Amino acid sequence: MKFSENISVFNLVFFINLYLFAYNKIKASEISSIEHPTLKVPYEVLNKRFRLAQKSIDRELCHVTNAVSELEKVLISDTKDKNQITSLIGGVMEKLNSFKRKAEDVTQEEIECGRVIKRRVEHLKEHDSTSPAVICQWRKLRLDRLLMEYVLRAGYYNTASELIKGSPIKDLTNLDIFLVANDVEISLKNKDTSKCLAWCHDNKSKLRKHARKHFTGQDQAQMQAVQQCMALLAFPVNTDVSPYKELFSESRWDGLVTQFREENLNLFQISTPSAFSVALQAGLSALKTPHCYRGPLNHNPDCPVCQKNLNELASSLPYAHCSQSRLVCHISGEQLNEHNQPLMLPNGYVYGQKALEQMASENDGFVLCPRSHQTFTLVEAEKY
Amino acid sequence: MDACVAVEKEVDKVLCKFTAFQDRSSLLIRGLYSDLENIKKQIDESEASDDCFTLRDSINLLQNQILARTKEIITNLSTEHRDLHSSVSKVGKAIDKNFTADFACVSHENFFDEGKQDMINEVICRHYLREGCLNVAETLIKDTGIDMPEDAKVPFLELNCILTSLKVHDLEPALEWAKKNREKLRAQKSSLEFKLHRLAYITLISEGQHRIKEAIEYARRHLTGFVHQHEKAIQTLLGCLLYVRSGLENSPYADLLSSCQWIEICEVFTRDACALLGLSVESPLAVCINAGCTALPVLLNIKQVMQQQQVHNMWNSKEELPIEIDLGQNYRYHSIFACPILRQQSTESNPPMRLICGHIISRDALNKLTTGNKYVL
Repeated sequence: MKFSENISVFNLVFFINLYLFAYNKIKASEISSIEHPTLKVPYEVLNKRFRLAQKSIDRELCHVTNAVSELEKVLISDTKDKNQITSLIGGVMEKLNSFKRKAEDVTQEEIECGRVIKRRVEHLKEHDSTSPAVICQWRKLRLDRLLMEYVLRAGYYNTASELIKGSPIKDLTNLDIFLVANDVEISLKNKDTSKCLAWCHDNKSKLRKHARKHFTGQDQAQMQAVQQCMALLAFPVNTDVSPYKELFSESRWDGLVTQFREENLNLFQISTPSAFSVALQAGLSALKTPHCYRGPLNHNPDCPVCQKNLNELASSLPYAHCSQSRLVCHISGEQLNEHNQPLMLPNGYVYGQKALEQMASENDGFVLCPRSHQTFTLVEAEKY
Repeated sequence: MDACVAVEKEVDKVLCKFTAFQDRSSLLIRGLYSDLENIKKQIDESEASDDCFTLRDSINLLQNQILARTKEIITNLSTEHRDLHSSVSKVGKAIDKNFTADFACVSHENFFDEGKQDMINEVICRHYLREGCLNVAETLIKDTGIDMPEDAKVPFLELNCILTSLKVHDLEPALEWAKKNREKLRAQKSSLEFKLHRLAYITLISEGQHRIKEAIEYARRHLTGFVHQHEKAIQTLLGCLLYVRSGLENSPYADLLSSCQWIEICEVFTRDACALLGLSVESPLAVCINAGCTALPVLLNIKQVMQQQQVHNMWNSKEELPIEIDLGQNYRYHSIFACPILRQQSTESNPPMRLICGHIISRDALNKLTTGNKYVL
């Protein structure tokens, strides 16, 4: 990975943070827990390509076989016209060529799909690097990938395009699928069903499989829907009679859009809550402590759950479970342990030895308690 | 790692097979094509009279063989392609086997309900403002319709500007900012302004002897204010003057020239600026997601175990997660006290109590110990 030119400035900050925080290695279980969609979606694309390829090949096979049959018919007939035969041979050759071209093309497309999967696997493997800089960048890309998926699913296509511009994640996202979806959605919003119908046709075999799986118990409902549609023919477009009024209403189009979006996700096995949502919830819960909800005095500006929006979002989630005490110095944010002993000031507040000693060295032996704003001398602090 | 390797193996196999198929089909068809071409030529050039009937007959026979072969080969190619499907589905099976498909079982399904969508979009927007991706943030605001007041953006714009110039070794904007916020920085005990001036001074010196006079002027003007706090450092800086002629790189002060200084100044600036503005140094969203990805495998594991033992869904309780998740030292932002005896977190109703010997236990533990005896051991 090149770090020279194209880092945005705050990426530099990230790079710098390496010196502040030694980033832990990423465990393999992190990858296998959340990256299923990363690989499954291009696999489904490959599957789809394969089916289309087989159909194309079989079509060409048909053409060749037909041309050959025609020639054979002439050969066994009584009249053997030389020119006719040569032209029919020419026909067979042409169809053979067409078969060859088609086979090459569709196989090439399948290979490209396979390569997409391979590139993503290779990217995932990079989490295991020994260089902290690479791990840091990998984490950043992971966040971009998760956000990209969230943004695409929510339909913020402009944001998605902007995101892709600055980032090397293009290969790693499912932008194409969503762009097609966007096209269909826009046309539906303009009350044009042609693109949606084309999409249904394109994906009909998969949709049929889904329908069989999910709708076996719903024939009754479908019957009703069909009956309603028939009755519609009897009413004018601006009718006031319900339920026919609803069938004509604007919201049906919105409903269609939503339904289409859901079907599209299902088709490519993109799971219902996004990976972003799952990771966010898990993270909020793992970081959440009662301190985050005990009022602003207890807030730590570095703690994500103490931030306003995340605080509210996390309110319905479980707290982190702690079976061991962990004390953090209020001044420096560093841990209190045998290397950084907790010292108690006469006013009862406890801080880390390192922070107090540093403060004292800069202030002639005086320390200032940040929570009560009282000053003491260092010697007044006792081991806690 | 094994997961990736397993999938990669199947993908490589599939790619290999597809390429082989592609090559084979091209080769075979080219063969058929040339055979047909030859026959066509032969027939073309033969006479159409009865004398050549035997010639024609044999040609026809050959043709029947060629045609039979053509049909056979083409049909086989189609079957070959169809057989590739098993290799393709092996890839899917490897993915399903090695990666968790249902990771959503440890989360609320509708976490992103109506009210929350805006909050999340705001968090994401702030994240991108912080990362310096201003156009992404702007487009997100437009796409989602959230309200992001200008004064929320302004600090990030300013910081972004200053860091850009620091990257190209331009200290002016940073110095100006430091001067503007001098009081607040001093209250934080930040040495940012001094370090900026120091870097400017070193830059001057490193340019060579002709700049010595300028450097001294600079020092007089800007460094005198810092003599109290940074006396030793200033002495070092002035000591550098002795080595300018022979080259600072060969002096004991060589490390002052290193590019680490510039990296350090960016870091110091970011840290102090964020502290001043009450911001965290790292993006909260990034921290959260990283923590989440670390926590997820643990939660999935426990979910599996819990399902086997038919325990209630842990995600619906407002209490604690059932398992401890070790996020590492860097993700600890609050002090947490857990009683060493009962292993529970302290709460408002169960605070830590300090014994005379200096040990600390929770009130519940204290009560438990004293119900038996009058004295606490």
